Amino acid sequence: MILVGLLLLVALVLPGLPLGEWRAFLLDTAQFAFLISALALAWDLLARTGQLSLAHGAFFGLGAYAAALTAPALGTLPALLVGGVVAGASSLFLGLATLRLHGMYFAIATLAFSEVMRTLVLKAPFTGGAIGLPVQPAFGGAFPLGGYYLAVGVLALAAGTSLLVSRSRLHYAMAATRQGEAVARVLGVPVVRVKLLAFMISAFLAGLAGGVYAMKTLFLSPYDAFGLGRAVEALVIPIFGGLYTTTGPLLGGLIIVSLETWLRLRIGEGYLVVYGVILVLTILFLPKGLVSLFRRKGVGHA
Amino acid sequence: MELLLQTIINGILAAGIYALVASGLALAVGVVGIVNFAHGEFTMIGAFIAYLLFVSTGLDPFLSLGLAALVLFMVGAITYLGLIRPVLAAPELNQMLLTFGLSVALQNIALLVFGADTRVVSTSYQGATLALGGLSFGVPPLLAFALSVVILGALYGFLDRTRLGLAVRAVAQNRLAPGLLGIETQRVYLLAFGLSAALAGVAGVMLSVMLYASPTVGFAYTLKAFAIIVMAGLGNLRGVVPAAITLAMAEALVSTYVPGGGGWVEAVFFLVIFVTLTWRSWRAA
Amino acid sequence: MLSVQGLSKRFGGVHAANAVNLRVEAGEILAVIGPNGAGKSTLLNLLSGLLRPDEGRIEFLGETITQAPPEVRAWKGLGRAFQIVQPFPEMTVWENLLVGALYGKPNTPARVAERVVEEVIELTGLTPKAQTLAGELTLLEDKRLELARALCTRPKLLLLDEVMAGLRPSEALEAVELVRRIRNSGVTVLFIEHLMPVVRALADRVVVMDYGQVIAEGPYDLVASNPKVREAYLGRAS
Ligand SMILES: Nc1ncnc2c1ncn2[C@@H]1O[C@H](COP(=O)(O)OP(=O)(O)OP(=O)(O)O)[C@@H](O)[C@H]1O
Ligand SMILES: [Mg+2]
Repeated sequence: MILVGLLLLVALVLPGLPLGEWRAFLLDTAQFAFLISALALAWDLLARTGQLSLAHGAFFGLGAYAAALTAPALGTLPALLVGGVVAGASSLFLGLATLRLHGMYFAIATLAFSEVMRTLVLKAPFTGGAIGLPVQPAFGGAFPLGGYYLAVGVLALAAGTSLLVSRSRLHYAMAATRQGEAVARVLGVPVVRVKLLAFMISAFLAGLAGGVYAMKTLFLSPYDAFGLGRAVEALVIPIFGGLYTTTGPLLGGLIIVSLETWLRLRIGEGYLVVYGVILVLTILFLPKGLVSLFRRKGVGHA
Repeated sequence: MELLLQTIINGILAAGIYALVASGLALAVGVVGIVNFAHGEFTMIGAFIAYLLFVSTGLDPFLSLGLAALVLFMVGAITYLGLIRPVLAAPELNQMLLTFGLSVALQNIALLVFGADTRVVSTSYQGATLALGGLSFGVPPLLAFALSVVILGALYGFLDRTRLGLAVRAVAQNRLAPGLLGIETQRVYLLAFGLSAALAGVAGVMLSVMLYASPTVGFAYTLKAFAIIVMAGLGNLRGVVPAAITLAMAEALVSTYVPGGGGWVEAVFFLVIFVTLTWRSWRAA
Repeated sequence: MLSVQGLSKRFGGVHAANAVNLRVEAGEILAVIGPNGAGKSTLLNLLSGLLRPDEGRIEFLGETITQAPPEVRAWKGLGRAFQIVQPFPEMTVWENLLVGALYGKPNTPARVAERVVEEVIELTGLTPKAQTLAGELTLLEDKRLELARALCTRPKLLLLDEVMAGLRPSEALEAVELVRRIRNSGVTVLFIEHLMPVVRALADRVVVMDYGQVIAEGPYDLVASNPKVREAYLGRAS
């Protein structure tokens, strides 16, 4: 909690610090890290109900495209909202269809969903298809730091939601759903509602992050926005940091994205290798994630 | 009419490789109880082995099959011992995530080493076709299909006729609680996982001729193989061949008859997985 | 309170429930007994909504609930403890109970839920284990947790599936006392049990099942001397 607040505070004042010649690069990297961490926090919210999704690349991409396409007409903030809502609505469909799927079946179905979405965007007449879609910067470029602060805002929203859920009764409903769906229902937990709600919150946040991302990169292509890479990032970061917590995905996101950025500079393509290796090592040697190194037992709140 | 016939033939020829890859995955799922997301990466490794041998020594890919099978058997065995066995008792999700991580890692290591280019093994017969009554058969697909049939025949023969094969099937039929595994069972697991990887590798060699070798060539096959074994019913090796034919045929029909063809094939295929999975889950309730 | 008519459920060729008729009166303790595989747990699954019947009707407190999902039945006052204990392993005992208390009735304020947990944890003797992870309990403690969690949903009718299996005689005696106390607090109880002394001590009425059918019904002594019942047990045992 304190750590989360501290991180956000640093994010807020970062542009004011004397960063020297690396300033632009640092802020750009930070912005990316914030968005990916927000995506990871969103993913973790859904995972709390036992649903490990490979569709978060698609929610991110849908949000990005929806925001990019509507921004010229609606303005930046409403367009971002549209992006979140489009992602949330698509997740409602996906969530309903996959209600009865578990484990690997669920994962594969969500992966299939993303691929179908990617093809749809590729083939749709208004998305620029394979060529890609140019995007206007946030607020038409009126504020140089606009995009950066939007990313901080999305991260704060994701972290806030994550903390809030941890402290609400929903926390128990989600954990019960994950640890024993049938028993949870017999105890009165409305499992269907809990799962769908988690899906919608999670996808909405992922869509928001996608929208800000679009206004940051200024160019979208289905291969990038819907790539499996996004889904991998969304999944590996919380597992590495510590599932079902707020600190875990946040800390994990900052660490892994820094690593990723460094690797991108050095080797370009293939940087996702860190995600693969980290995932394997985490499962083998640190199955409860980074935060387990400094926490007691119990589902507790973090 | 001719177009339809040609489409059907294309479908059947494609089914051979699908069945190979899917049989391998079915072995891993049925015997070891693990859905191996890295299965397609074994296929990718097979494709690169064939490519490298061809470039460095001019060895015909169809002659490197044996070597590729051997290498991948070892790769499979090492994977099993080093990564899979330690998590056999862990929750199913951890196993899935582990193989997913392995898949991502292998794909990107290949990307680092070879770059994203697709590499074709251009043999002299690569573009050769046989014409028969207005229909044409590509020579590589025909060869690959014939070989697939032989290999699958051998696999089923092994499972049906040999003592070891019987042991494999026995383990698949009554999977014990992990932790209660005897020495014998451990060996069967090792064998099954190695065989599974070898089958994937052999399919990869064929792909290097018919398609190309590239870091991402395998991943699509993991998913196709998964679709096939879901259709067949998990752990049901017998059902793999008909399911492979169904899927390959559906793909061929889509790419021939759906306007704008190519790009939709993937989508249709994923739609099939999605609908099959969700529809089954609702019907079973 | 509960009335079941013509309830049937098949699993492939197995008729796990075959035209079961059953009534539970408010305030009573009803025992359901029968040999292994008789269909007792299946009956509870049908009652709590985890299985949908192929045929038949279930009425609870005057309402038809045959198609209602499990959580709705819980809200209406059906509580259930499972034969195979299923604690939420990553939660503490306290948190396990809190799930039942928070969700067993819709919109329960957190403060009320916590008071319920305090009462139940005291009643079931789990207080010393409140902060233990459920995954680390012994089987006996798990059984108690199973019962306690069901109680936390504040049921009107409590369905217990072999909660005393594996208890030593002295512990069983305690458990019998506990169930009596639960009934005296106004909860109707339907319990499945293999231990005949427990059935005899506790049950106002006994229903005997075999092959998915109710084969006898009545006070313990009458049922115990019924030739059909003796055959069901002896026939299977030999
Ligand atoms: N989900 C299921 N799928 C298939 N068969 C089932 C299922 N559940 C129960 N059965 C079968 O239905 C029959 C009744 O089982 P049930 O568990 O209800 O018996 P029981 O009376 O509770 O036995 P026990 O005293 O051993 O607990 C058994 O033959 C069992 O194998
Ligand atoms: Mg039972």
